[in-house]
Amino acid sequence: MNVLIANRGEIAVRVIRACREMGLGAIAVYSECDRNALHVRLADAAYPIGGSPAVESYLRIDAIIDAAKQAGASLIHPGYGFLAENEDFGQACVDAGLTFVGPTPRAIAQMGSKTAARQVAIAAGVPVVPGTEEPFAADASDEEITATAARIGYPLVVKAVAGGGGKGMRTVASAEDLLAAVRTARSEAGSAFGDSSVYLERRLLHPRHIEIQLLGDHHGTVVPFVERECSIQRRHQKVVEESPSPVLDVDTRRRMADCAARVAKTVGYTNAGTIEFLLDQDGQFYFLEMNTRLQVEHPVTEMVTGIDLVQWQLRIARGERLTIDPERALTPTAHAIECRIYAEDPDAGFMPAPGLVRALSVPGGPGIRDDRGVAAGFEIPMFYDSMISKLVVWGATRSDAIARLGRALDEYRVVGVKTTVPFFQWLVREPDFANANFDTTYLDRELAERKGRPFVEPTEADQLDAAVAAAIAAWTRSHGAAAAAPAEGSAWRRAAKLEGLR
Amino acid sequence: MTFEIEVGGRVRTVSVEAIGAPVSGGGLFRIRVDGVVHEVESRTTDLGLSLRYADTGRGVDVAVTPRGAGDLLLQLPRVVMEVAVDARRYRRAGAGPVAAAGELRVLAPMPGRVLRVLVKPGDTVDLRQGLVVVEAMKMENEITAAKAGRVKEVAVSPGQSVESGRLLVVVE
Repeated sequence: MNVLIANRGEIAVRVIRACREMGLGAIAVYSECDRNALHVRLADAAYPIGGSPAVESYLRIDAIIDAAKQAGASLIHPGYGFLAENEDFGQACVDAGLTFVGPTPRAIAQMGSKTAARQVAIAAGVPVVPGTEEPFAADASDEEITATAARIGYPLVVKAVAGGGGKGMRTVASAEDLLAAVRTARSEAGSAFGDSSVYLERRLLHPRHIEIQLLGDHHGTVVPFVERECSIQRRHQKVVEESPSPVLDVDTRRRMADCAARVAKTVGYTNAGTIEFLLDQDGQFYFLEMNTRLQVEHPVTEMVTGIDLVQWQLRIARGERLTIDPERALTPTAHAIECRIYAEDPDAGFMPAPGLVRALSVPGGPGIRDDRGVAAGFEIPMFYDSMISKLVVWGATRSDAIARLGRALDEYRVVGVKTTVPFFQWLVREPDFANANFDTTYLDRELAERKGRPFVEPTEADQLDAAVAAAIAAWTRSHGAAAAAPAEGSAWRRAAKLEGLR
Repeated sequence: MTFEIEVGGRVRTVSVEAIGAPVSGGGLFRIRVDGVVHEVESRTTDLGLSLRYADTGRGVDVAVTPRGAGDLLLQLPRVVMEVAVDARRYRRAGAGPVAAAGELRVLAPMPGRVLRVLVKPGDTVDLRQGLVVVEAMKMENEITAAKAGRVKEVAVSPGQSVESGRLLVVVE
């Protein structure tokens, strides 16, 4: 049985690994610039689906369905992003006689619209953040938007109905910034999701982001998992995730898990999904939204429960019954933390830093998991999200996990491009991080206060090492021919003379 | 051989001399940094260089990426540094137009597509005011003015693809 993976990067690699372990064939698809990408190299077969921009390849439903037919695939795993939450893609799979590894198109449509999802949560008796019931019409007047905002109260958040990953989302502190925020959110959502409708939600003060992973089978069973805490966010984008949350007590965990399961059952949800909640300072939680797919941060749940979520996705899609012990799913053994390592320059405002990965040195040893989508020799393209790897560590306690994470980050070297590793090296040694003294606004506040100060400043010894290394590198380059050959002293001298004559 | 090496905003004079017979992939070097002599054993690795100071035994693993014109990106275990080797020699021959005094040439920090141009020639801009929005890796990146002034030139238009280092706007 063959599974086509309609994605790229680390998540495609993750799904290929699950296929291998289950004895299933793994079929990759790729765009022009991904011909030598790791997921293509690891797959049993791979099919080109178009040009490098995602709209010409990873977002092309027809090309992907064609590839699945050619490959004789019977299942399609969408990963996350791209078409993962596109009900038309789910429907196209059904129409082509293929099994979509995910929820039904109806469930995707219902939970994918943030306003419809809020109504589902209300129907399930789950508390929601106060906000607009319906998105604004495309031609909604400025007066209407301003009046609605005044009713909800400031600060508030403008959110794209189709949004995700912080795109199409703007926080507004007061009325004067409202209309500009609505405009940018619409424009960003239009170009990112092809749907520019937005709605408003009250912004809770200093909330934590806590979410419940769940699995649902085709026989009516829904199993919720121990929570993940994802409060460390930069501009609404998660950068660190952990499980369990350092602040949730067992009772709240069970109530939250129960709410999540009720929402899922209300829509007859199947396969993997995640319900996101905001936890306020008084310990009250509110339904935020549902992600109808596998999450980037699923490995932390796998690390603390020992349950393979991707394998279960495939088993559920094939009609198997969920046989996971619900107590096991809700009971974390130890603590796991994930860092999303991006090709970005953290010292230049996290600007994307695509480029050629010349070499890689990846941490190993106890308690380390590195879910990576790039290999040495790969040019990180500018067309997609620039994630290089998800570094996940496991430790007996949270502080053990943090110490291990620091150690692993020091071992991590992606040669040739700048990465967010120095930022994480700073973060994991911050007392507020160690004490779990944070909420979703913590990181943006800290970053603003740093005013661009480098995350890791070189010591005098570092600078000496750098000068020595640079000098030896320059010397070696000018003696290149001799150093490369099984050298003799005379060859070095000849090269040195030549250098002197230049 | 002697190099001028700029690291951490300071130029150091560093001389390198090979001691004894070279071995495959490296050797022993006598290195003088600002007058202080260090004996360093170096081996090339998959990442760059592995150094060991002969007197203390201290070791450091350095990943080395040449960035053209003598610039190197060095990744040490806990810190990343940009280093320029013999910058004066390279920059004297330096290609490309040099900014006039007081002029700020705003370059694209990464390859991408210009989504919006927020200013036009003649506009007055404040420090950190947005100039151009470049979309790269699905994110909108607002390129801002690193100084206040007047827009002298806008070199791009919306929809245009730009390479890293492409001139976007000149502020005077």
